[in-house]
Amino acid sequence: MALLEIDLLSRRFGGLVAVDEVSMRVAEGEVRAVIGPNGAGKSTLFHLITGVLRPTAGEVRFDGERMTGLSAHRICQRGVSRTFQLTALFPEMTARENARLAAQARGARRWQPYGGDAIFAAADRRGDAALERLGLTDVAHRPAGLLSHGDQRLLEVAMGLAQQPRLLLLDEPTQGLSVEETAQAVDTLASLLADGGLTVLLVEHDMEVVFRLAHRITVLHRGAVIADDVPAAVRADPAVQDAYLGGIE
Amino acid sequence: MTSRRVLVVAALVLALLPLGLPLFAMTLAIEALILGLFAMSLDLMVGYTRLFSFGHAAAYGLGAYTAGNLLLHTDIPVVFAVLLASAFSGIVAIGIGWVCTLATGISFSMLTLAIAQLLYAVAFKWTPVTGASDGLAGIPRTPGPFGLTWFQSKIGFYYLVLACLIAAFVFCRSLVASPFGAVLRGIRENEAKTQSLGYNTRRYKIAVVAIAYALGGLAGALYAAFAGFTNTELLFWLLSGQVLIMVIIGGAGTLVGPIIGAIFFLLVQQYLSSYTESWALFFGLIFIFFVVCVPQGLLGLVGGRRAGGTV
Amino acid sequence: MDFFGFLITQCLNALSEAALLFFLGVGLTLIFGIMRIINFAHGAFFMLGAYVGYSAVQVTGSFWGALLVAPLVVGGVGAAFELGILRRLYGRDGSAFLMVTFGLTLVMGEVIRLAWGVAALNVPLPQSLSGIVFILDEPFPIYRLFLAGAGVVVALVIWQFLERTRLGLLIRATSQNAEMVHALGTDVRLVRSAVFGIGCGLAGIGGVFAAPLVTASLGMAPNAVIDTFVIVIIGGMGSFLGSAIAAVLVGFVQVFGTYYFPDLALALMYLLMLLVLVVRPGGLLGKEA
Repeated sequence: MALLEIDLLSRRFGGLVAVDEVSMRVAEGEVRAVIGPNGAGKSTLFHLITGVLRPTAGEVRFDGERMTGLSAHRICQRGVSRTFQLTALFPEMTARENARLAAQARGARRWQPYGGDAIFAAADRRGDAALERLGLTDVAHRPAGLLSHGDQRLLEVAMGLAQQPRLLLLDEPTQGLSVEETAQAVDTLASLLADGGLTVLLVEHDMEVVFRLAHRITVLHRGAVIADDVPAAVRADPAVQDAYLGGIE
Repeated sequence: MTSRRVLVVAALVLALLPLGLPLFAMTLAIEALILGLFAMSLDLMVGYTRLFSFGHAAAYGLGAYTAGNLLLHTDIPVVFAVLLASAFSGIVAIGIGWVCTLATGISFSMLTLAIAQLLYAVAFKWTPVTGASDGLAGIPRTPGPFGLTWFQSKIGFYYLVLACLIAAFVFCRSLVASPFGAVLRGIRENEAKTQSLGYNTRRYKIAVVAIAYALGGLAGALYAAFAGFTNTELLFWLLSGQVLIMVIIGGAGTLVGPIIGAIFFLLVQQYLSSYTESWALFFGLIFIFFVVCVPQGLLGLVGGRRAGGTV
Repeated sequence: MDFFGFLITQCLNALSEAALLFFLGVGLTLIFGIMRIINFAHGAFFMLGAYVGYSAVQVTGSFWGALLVAPLVVGGVGAAFELGILRRLYGRDGSAFLMVTFGLTLVMGEVIRLAWGVAALNVPLPQSLSGIVFILDEPFPIYRLFLAGAGVVVALVIWQFLERTRLGLLIRATSQNAEMVHALGTDVRLVRSAVFGIGCGLAGIGGVFAAPLVTASLGMAPNAVIDTFVIVIIGGMGSFLGSAIAAVLVGFVQVFGTYYFPDLALALMYLLMLLVLVVRPGGLLGKEA
């Protein structure tokens, strides 16, 4: 049984079909990249999985349990964390505080209205560990809004990691990064993923990044899956080449 | 956060105030502390969670009318009546919070205003409970328990109000430093992100509304017991606006700032109204000046700029 | 009492109420749609319109003159405020506008009180508009008929203005992409001042229209503010059509509600708003949830 099972997931916006009967199986420990030209429905797919949007049809199952239709925070509590395409952080909090708030969410008494030293200490442990794995320990005390764009993208990943998720969704983590920043980020992510134990769903535009990190690739075009295979096969797939290079609608 | 030493000194000064002030000035002092409590309660919503309420008078009025009724129609001592009124306000506020958090942003603010206006409209008509446009009068400061009559004196009541303010302050400070407070801060800076981290932000918002209303209701209840009367002005939107001004002028998100803002407001009002009938005019101008030129509020001005004002 | 006659007159009543609400709502929604400013002082501008209208009638002896003068004066005051104060706040958080316009409400309330006094002022109607007309044997005030008609006319005028004129086009463009409009050579700041002025002017003309019915008084502002926001929230912030629909909806709910449930009169409008927000948090035609 796969960790994440998606069956004929669809989402319409009036007449527009953004996600068209997408089916996927992601195994535990797998790094799956979701790629496709602009407007292919990748981010929408993420929104459907994480509960930001409700699907108009289809099912999402996580670890055997139905997740379709649950609210975003419920889904996160089940062990699914995500980052966003447009950087979403707490700009006036330090990087450390950002990570701590993320980690706190997975603690038992995250809502405690008094004291909290033990809760904060536990969250800090997880948060600091996540920051270190992403190489952000040096900037931990800087306000998140003042970090470089590259560090901000990494901080988002660190926040996801601090939640010790079973499934981590990364929505274009290298978006907006310069060539050098991208190279550094990919190195960091590669070593992170090499440690194993993390199931990742990754949306990316940069093919170099994808081929370096992914075990399998799912290709979307106009909301539908047109390929789902190992990187080498996808690279050679004529339908994929067509979608990216040929046939301008 | 204001240093502990400063706060202790301030508390001592306030505790010793009755020794230095003439009795007629004590009335002003009591009003200042009550308003300070009222403003601080709103700061929990506005300063710490970015929930702009234009209807906080609802909390004040709820507390005042509840306390008024309890003191007029039962033998409950004033101390308990005030606390019960506060609790009642908080409980009602759970419902109010539930309704208002159906929306966000400006719609939320308008809902708070609408509910306050609704309560105002109800109070205007509901003669048996609220005395309609006349309000409740002759509210006694019922002595007890054990025949304790200290609170019936002005100085005694001053200490009751001061005790409530200090207790509320300590509670709020602990609250905002707790894990719950950390989540509020997340909601303030980026609610969507906070939700995506797995927090049911709506519940936190409802909770903070309930707490803010409970404390605001405490202030209103103390006022009713102090003044001996209530009227519909306590529910009117003008009061909601005034307390919001106190929070912003004093410095939102600091707890202490709004208390200072309330004192400032009261003193300026007293000073101006002895010179001119149009003190509201100058107040409006002062407020506009503060929003445009001093967004960090009085506290920010004195204590160095707080990292990012709320306004 | 003939039921049809009753129905028709009450419907006309509702439309006249809707007209007043529309004047208020459309100005606010325009200002919000273009400038993302919540003009809390909108009710105060409405009130100013009523008082200026009163004085205009006193000076010129003509109600029609007042209808012309008041919106210009009120719009001018609005534009001046935008120029002097609001301009400094662009780029700041939206709550700053809320605070500043609230302060303006206080200031305007006092200024009006100082200039015109505390007593409610009666604004007399011209001969042509006073008196009653009979609709299906039911008496109905001519002025309300006039009001309902005026509401429709103004709605059409604004609609055509936005669709057909150059300034209207600039306004619509600015609401969608201010930077682009700026890049194409238009001084966006002027557009903003114009919009704020027009929005306040509309509130002002609403005040003149309302004055003969409710008399000019200091209590107008708070009531108007809430009515305006209810309209705009129900209709959806920034939606011209939404505020028109909401005005009609609220007008009907108020008139028929007051008839059948007089004690709930005040509460009905808020209940309606609550209902709409529960079903559609962004308002009926709102763009943001």
